[in-house]
Order: sequence, then structure tokens, then C-alpha cells
Amino acid sequence: MATEELPSEFDVVILGTGLAESVAAAAFSRVGQKVLHLDRRSYYAANWASFSFNALLTWVQQQQEEPQPHEIQDWSSLLEEGEELIYLSQSDSASIRNVQVFCFASEEDEEEAPDTTEEEDSADPQGEAEEEASHKEGEEPEPPLPLPPPAQSQSESAQTLPPPAQSQSEPEPAQTLPPPAQSQSEPPQTLPPPAQSQSEPEPAQTLPPPAQSQSEPPQTLPPPAQSQSEPEPPQTLPPPAQSQSEPSKKKISYAHLVREGRRFNIDLVSKLMFSRGSLVDLLIKSNVSRYAEFKNVTRILTYRQGRVEQVPCSRSDVFASRQLSVVEKRKLMRFLTSCAEETEEQRAYNGRPYLEFLSDQKLGDNLQHFLLHSIAMVTEATPTEQGLAATRHFLRCLGRYGNTPFLFPVYGLGEIPQCFCRMCAVFGGIYCLRHSVSCLLLDTHSNRCKAVIDSRGQRISCSHVVLEEGFVGAERKRSSTPPRFLSRAVLITDGSILPTDSEQQVSLVTVPPAAGGPAVKMVELSPSTMTCSAGTYLVHLTCPSVGSAHQDLSPLVTSMFRTPESPDHDGPSVLWCLFFNMADGSGVEAEGHDLPENVHLSSGPDAELGHEHAVRQAESIFQKILPEEEFCPPAPNPEDIIYDGDTDGDTGDTYGDTDGDTGDAVNTGDAVNTGDAVNTGDAVNTGDAVNTGDAVNTGDAVNTGDAVNTGDAVNTGDAVNTGDAVNTGDAVNTGDAVNTGDAVNTGDAVNTDGDKTSPGEEEEERRAVSEE
Amino acid sequence: MSMEDYDYLFKIVLIGNAGVGKTCLVRRFTQGLFPPGQGATIGVDFMIKTVEIKGEKVKLQIWDTAGQERFRSITQSYYRSANALILTYDITCEDSFRCLPEWLREIEQYANTTVVTILVGNKIDLSEKREVLRQRAEDFAESQSMLYLETSAKESDNVEKLFLDLACELIREAKQNKLDNNDNAPMPGEGKAISYLTCCNIN
Ligand SMILES: Cc1cc2nc3c(=O)[nH]c(=O)nc-3n(C[C@H](O)[C@H](O)[C@H](O)COP(=O)(O)OP(=O)(O)OC[C@H]3O[C@@H](n4cnc5c(N)ncnc54)[C@H](O)[C@@H]3O)c2cc1C
Ligand SMILES: Nc1nc2c(ncn2[C@@H]2O[C@H](COP(=O)(O)OP(=O)(O)O)[C@@H](O)[C@H]2O)c(=O)[nH]1
Ligand SMILES: [Mg+2]
Repeated sequence: MATEELPSEFDVVILGTGLAESVAAAAFSRVGQKVLHLDRRSYYAANWASFSFNALLTWVQQQQEEPQPHEIQDWSSLLEEGEELIYLSQSDSASIRNVQVFCFASEEDEEEAPDTTEEEDSADPQGEAEEEASHKEGEEPEPPLPLPPPAQSQSESAQTLPPPAQSQSEPEPAQTLPPPAQSQSEPPQTLPPPAQSQSEPEPAQTLPPPAQSQSEPPQTLPPPAQSQSEPEPPQTLPPPAQSQSEPSKKKISYAHLVREGRRFNIDLVSKLMFSRGSLVDLLIKSNVSRYAEFKNVTRILTYRQGRVEQVPCSRSDVFASRQLSVVEKRKLMRFLTSCAEETEEQRAYNGRPYLEFLSDQKLGDNLQHFLLHSIAMVTEATPTEQGLAATRHFLRCLGRYGNTPFLFPVYGLGEIPQCFCRMCAVFGGIYCLRHSVSCLLLDTHSNRCKAVIDSRGQRISCSHVVLEEGFVGAERKRSSTPPRFLSRAVLITDGSILPTDSEQQVSLVTVPPAAGGPAVKMVELSPSTMTCSAGTYLVHLTCPSVGSAHQDLSPLVTSMFRTPESPDHDGPSVLWCLFFNMADGSGVEAEGHDLPENVHLSSGPDAELGHEHAVRQAESIFQKILPEEEFCPPAPNPEDIIYDGDTDGDTGDTYGDTDGDTGDAVNTGDAVNTGDAVNTGDAVNTGDAVNTGDAVNTGDAVNTGDAVNTGDAVNTGDAVNTGDAVNTGDAVNTGDAVNTGDAVNTGDAVNTDGDKTSPGEEEEERRAVSEE
Repeated sequence: MSMEDYDYLFKIVLIGNAGVGKTCLVRRFTQGLFPPGQGATIGVDFMIKTVEIKGEKVKLQIWDTAGQERFRSITQSYYRSANALILTYDITCEDSFRCLPEWLREIEQYANTTVVTILVGNKIDLSEKREVLRQRAEDFAESQSMLYLETSAKESDNVEKLFLDLACELIREAKQNKLDNNDNAPMPGEGKAISYLTCCNIN
């Protein structure tokens, strides 16, 4: 089948499947353009890819191989009158450099004897079956073991062994994954009563209810089932001496990592999604969000004076914080509130460093550190207006999906470009990996590219070409000089840098610049993100390059983790780590290259935490080509497409995914929805719920009685109804509402704070406002 | 007015070489049509059909490849949250059968470890052109612990049975799993809430 020829006429040919190219592909395809999307690699997402552990080892090996001199085929025989060829670069080795791997885990799992058996034994039948399936040959093809881990040898490329080609049918890990969700007919789950008390010691000014669009039901981006036990008490202490002295803790070997390799989804880039950033907006707007699931980043940490501390970032964090004094809490609250809008005072600092502005606010070291490094995430030299803008963006993003401004895609960032590719394909785009384009075919009269020629000499005509910059030789590119790089480190560790009761924290760790070096952004992922195996954590470090990635980042690794160089450290141990430099995509200019005007250049990942760069790039390429068309309009919801003979009685949008259910919704009663309902929190219904209006729930909602809503209901707090509740007007709850009797609201009811409890009957015909 | 009352929701994903009849199988099952016009309908991501099994309503969300199998370029994310995979080949095309191990490798890498896989030999209405003997396919399926079924999307042979069998198997596994681990909190990412509540929160 691999021999089938590609069709030979397209509107847009796109080379490279990184984020910008994939978003552009989806956008073009969505409005009816014929798209051919190619990548010469065998995997999607280019430098945005995520790999299993074993696939990453292969990638490492490829990077370390000498680039084979690529034989340039001469296709000039294909030329017709008035045509010229522009040869494309055939290797993208230039974007990755200085790849170094170190393994600190023991080679085999010797001392785990007691534990491993358990692991093998409890494998579920399905797993065994599968295993048998892939290896009917009989014996377990143990993956080839790596070279003995070169205990802390600085030598490059110690274990670039070929990954155990396809042999990783792992024994099912001990804790079997519960069945995918279908627990519906189950006895009503114990209702998590909204115990999570919002009660705060201080009467802070009421937060305006999320002024945002929460009430217009967007297809909410699904952060799945974020468990409730999130807000951890901020701990300032260095991690308790967890590692050594704990005989029960099993040492994780390299063999174990290889065996569990499939459980890892290791991203080449490390970024987060701002919950109100352009990527999240785009995912929601386009409906591409239905292809992925997301987790909240659960906390923001900072590394300071040798200690890891939690940064208070929601209002409740601030109040709960034990590291801030009451005075500091007040100051912080006041400052953040005042930042919301621009003032004369702030304007006076335009052009002067944000640090100066902050220090003039007399906030004290603690707060200044948090605000500069962890909230604004800027440098000391950043001008005030930029620092304030970053602070506001952070604040705007808080509380949309969770306690921090960030989301992370389950299975890693590499999913995101693929999701856009799927959208492109659904609208007719044609995909082909492992397929190179040798050259562009230039029409010398119009100076436009009229076709591309692939590596087999097939001529594919097109009106536009989008090229990942790696395809273009340096001689034609206008890049910032010298080209910038990012330094990256990826660690697999055996514990969290700030352990808590929950082992499933997802943390952003900001590390301010030390000794003139750049600030480092660190993301610690737990197995809940499906990016690492049980018992391990995946740690990503990123900073703008000064030297090689190893030079830039290994001192920090040594100071934060236990490694052979820091054997007495009581933090988590590094089991395996990878360092490399990646070209910084923000160094590539959009315009001014020596290329035909209908050839558009896109670039790889930049150094920023968010995804604005790539989304902006895709949008601007799209608009240049199709200025009249809408960028990624919503794809129709498959459930709205009714076919003859459809036995399914849907008339509204009723399925969680597409209708914006991103929390846990459990319904054991009758729920009827003919309006739009968006749930991003936990909703439990064991009674009858009827919604014919718009209902938005971002908090916890529990209904065990009858609830009828024909108006707009918005809940961002905790709502409990055990009686009958009828709403025909607008109801907004941002605090705690408990109704155990009958509540009838025919007007506007607004509860913005405080606890509202109505044990008896209550009728609100007019506007009832309860604000604390 | 609709009642969103189903007891289970399963995501079923089709894979296999281009041209073996995946899209036809889905269309035959969800719409009762054959042939379904040219190729996949532009812009349709998945099809839905709700069936009733032993008194329980089961909603099947059936995903097609969007043509990405044509050049062997299916995205990993396509496999991620599937509860079941229908691995299809064409009994009149030896090549589509020989590619099965390649597909299995992909499943093994990207699909959930608890996914239910069924092997389907399609186009049995063309028995005079058969290239893959039933016994051979059965043996292969057995060696890989897969269910096996032969169908004709054209004649509507076994199509209903294919999806109903799968639904039964999925229900069985779901119940089994529920017994096995009582804490029913779905492991993050591995499962989604399947029922949907419209939440009316009233003060
Ligand atoms: C450290 C810090 C302190 C802040 N202090 C203030 C302040 O004093 N006044 C102000 O206007 N803005 C304050 N903000 C900004 C504010 O929290 C939000 O960033 C902004 O109002 C928009 O957030 P949101 O309403 O979308 O989400 P959230 O802040 O999550 O609030 C959503 C709504 O849900 C309810 N809610 C959610 N979480 C809590 C909670 N922990 N405690 C009580 N109610 C909650 C509230 O009714 C709130 O209006 C603060 C931000 C930070 C980081
Ligand atoms: N005779 C016969 N032809 C079939 C059957 N199913 C599909 N086809 C034909 O096979 C071709 C490919 O079908 P399609 O569903 O598009 O395959 P897909 O690429 O796997 O989705 C079409 O020409 C169909 O008409 C079948 O059961 N019998
Ligand atoms: Mg098809």
C-alpha cells in the first residue's frame, strides 16, 4: 500500500507537522482548501513530538548519528520551459544539538525481588493475552539491556542503544488501570459534599464573578475529572527526607524504565497552556478540543535559596498560606486587585523595569519574588508595562479550569499538533509521513512556486506552500543572527520535588536566574498526565541557551536532585536524564527570505511558556492566503448530524465531550437537557434534572432532588440541592449554595459569596441578591 | 425533547488498510446504507448509534480513520481513548491480511492496554474471489487473542452482530472490572465520564 501515489493537485502543500503547520493545515482544510500535509519523519509533530521512552532512545540515537550526506537527486529533467528548481534541505539535524544522555538508575532490578512478583502476578488477563499476542514465539523477549549505566560518566551518548524494537509488550503494571469509565449504572457514588470550605478568615473584597464568557456555553475545553483534593497546604519545608531511610521504597532500574517504556510520553518541548491563551481559545473554538483531554497544573512552585516553595496563586492559596504573614497577605491582595486595571501610577513606570515598580510598592522580598518570577515570569529588566501585562494575563487565566492558570494535555504536548492534523484529515486533508519533498518548482515569470517535486520525482502542483523552516537552506533564510537556541533537560525521577499527600501533582516550578544565567522553567509531571510510569515523575527544564544544555542546566539538576554528583541530596533521585539544545523558533523572521511569495515559512517551538507564537504564526499565514475566510470555525458536532434510521433521540447537545463536560458528571436519575450545558466541575445528579436553558457549572453541583432550569444558571461554587429547585430566571452562584427545601426562582438570583443555605421553602420572584 | 439515558458509552475505533471496507461497515451499521457514496463524508468525525442489550442502553461512538491510513499516517491520538478496536481486512485481498501485524504493533504502542480488539474479514459476498481462508484468519485471531468475525457491508451480513458482539464484550469487561476494583474513580486520562448531566444549579 505504501506504493500508492499521491494525488497531484492541491491548493496548499504543507511540509512539517509541528504545531504551527498543523494548525494551519486544519485551518485551510476546514474552509475547503485541498491540503497535502507531509513530514519526512516517521512521527508526527516535528520538534513538538512526544516519544515513549524507547522511541526517545531511538530519537537520541538518530540525533547522535553523523548526518549522512544526502545525495541530491537531479530533477532538472522534469523541468519545462520557464521553470526552475529550488532544492530543499534534506536533513533537519541543524535544529537539535549537543544531545547527551546519562543513566543513574541501576541496570537491572536486582533488589526488587519481593515487589516484582507482585507486579507480574496481578497482571490482568487482558494484559497477559496481549503479551502472548505479540510474542507467540514463546519466551519473553527481554528488551536488550543497555550498556551498564555509566555511573555519572560525563561521556556523551552512553546508552544510545537501539530501543527494543517493538518488544515492549510490558507485563501489566501492578496497578491495573480501571476500566475506562463506564461506571454509569453504578450505585450513586458517594456524593462528595462540597466540604471544600471557602471560608476565609478575612473578609476580602468579593471577587467579581468570573466576568468571562463562562455563561456563554463554549465547548469547554475538557480538563478531565480533576480530583478534588487539590489545594495542598503550601509547604515551605524542603522535601522531607523521603528517599533514603525508606526501605519499602523500591528502586527503579533502567530495565524497569525500558519495560514500562510505553507509559512514557516524553515531549521534546516543554510548555503549558494558559487557560485563556490563544491555543486553548482555538481548541475550543474549532472543536479540536474533542480529540484530547487535559489536566490542570495543580500548583506553582518556586526554587529559592535552595528550597522549593509553593507560590500562592489563588485567593484561597493566599489565605491558606503559612509562609506569608497577615500583612503580606493584605499587601498581596491589594496589589493584585489594583493591578487589574491600568492606573496613572503604573503608567509613570512605563519603560522602567517592573522590578523598580514592584520594589516601590514596598511589598517585601517574598512577595516581590513571587510576583516577578512566578506570576509575571519576567526578568528583572522587563519593563513595567510588560510585567503588568504578564501579571494580568496570569490573573485572567486563574480559576477557569483550576487553581492555577495552566492546563497540560494528557499524553503530552505532542498530542496537540496531531489533534489539528486529525481535524485537517476529517475535512479531507491528505496525510503522509516519511515522505520528503526534494524541491520547489518555480515559475520564473511569475516568481511563484507552482508545484513541488517529491523524493520520487512526482510533481505535485499547488497554489501555496507552507514550509517548516528546517526545509530551507541557510543561504535563503533571513534569521536573527546568531541563531538562538533553547537548552532542554528531561529527567525521570523517583519522587516529587515537593511531595504531598497527593502523588498526582502537576507543578510548574519557576527558578530565578542564578549567577547571571537565565531563568529556568521547570515542569514536573506526574503519572496522572499519562506521560510517565507509576512511581516516576517526568521533569522538564527549559531556558534560553547560554552554553550547551548540559552546561546550562546540570548545575541546577545537581542542586535540586540526588545524582551521583550530589549523592547526599535528600530530594528525589534522577534515574535517567537527557540534555539537548533546540533551535529557538522565535529567531526566525516571517518575512524577508529569498523565497517565492507564495511560499510561507513557519518555525519550530520558541522559548515562551505558552503557545502564542505558533498559533499566531499559523493564523497570520492563513490570513495572508485567505484574508476573507474565518480561521478555524467550529467543526460541526457529529451528534448534531442526524441520519435516517438514527435510533438515538438526541435533539440537543447532550454528550459530555462535545457539550463541554470536562468534569465528572454522574447521573443516576433522569436528566433532560435541551439547552446548552457546560460542566467543568463535578456534577452529581441522583434526582431529576431538567434543563432547557443554559447551565454552566464549574464548581461542584449535587442534586438529589428535582431541579428544573429554564433560564440561565451559572454555578462556579458549590451547589447542593436536595429538595426541589426551579429556576426560570437567571441564577448565578459563585459561592456555596445549599438548598434542602424547595427553591423557586423566577427572577435573577445572584449569590456571589458566602454560604447560602436554604433549609425551607424559598421563593424568589424578584431579584434576590445575597452578597457577603 | 430527548432523554439522555444510556447506561454505557463506548468509543470504538476502526483500523486496517485503505479499501477494506471500514467506512462501509460504519455506514451500514449506523445508517443502513451501502454503498455510502464516495469515501468518508467530509467533516464527520464519528458516528453514533445507541443499541439496547439485555435491557441496557449502550451508546456507541464509532470513529473512522479520516483517511489517514492511506499512507500509513494515523495519529497516535486516534487510538488513545478507544474502548474497542475493529481491525479490518478484506478477505479478497491477501495484502490487507499480511499487514495485520503492522497494525497490531501500532495498537500495542498507542492503544489503552485494556482495549478490546476484534478482527474482521470483510467482503464475504465476494467469496469467489477469496484470498484468505477463514481457518487461517481464525488461527491468527486466536493466536493474538482477538475475537474474529467475517462480514459483508454490502449484504449487511454480520454487521449488526459485529457491533452488538463488541458491545456485549465491552459491557462484560466493564462489569468485570467493576468487580475487580471497587474504587471506581477512573484513573485520570484513561476514562471519561460517560454519562452526562445537565446541571441546573439553582440557588
Ligand atoms: C494571590 C491572589 C490574590 C488575589 N486577590 C484578589 C482579590 O482580593 N480581589 C480580586 O478581585 N481579585 C483577586 N485576585 C484575582 C482573582 O483571583 C482572579 O484572578 C480574577 O478575579 C479572575 O479570576 P476568576 O474569577 O476567573 O477565577 P477565581 O479566582 O477562581 O474565582 C472564580 C469565582 O469562584 C469563587 N472562588 C473560586 N475560588 C475561590 C476561593 N479560593 N475563595 C473564594 N472564592 C473562590 C469566587 O466567587 C470567584 O469569584 C487575586 C489573585 C491572586 C493570584
Ligand atoms: N463487495 C463488497 N464491497 C465492499 C464491501 N465493503 C466495502 N466494499 C467496497 O470496498 C471499497 C472500499 O470501501 P471503504 O468502506 O471506503 O473502505 P475503507 O477505506 O476501509 O474505509 C468501496 O468500493 C466499497 O464499495 C463489502 O462488504 N462487499
Ligand atoms: Mg474509509
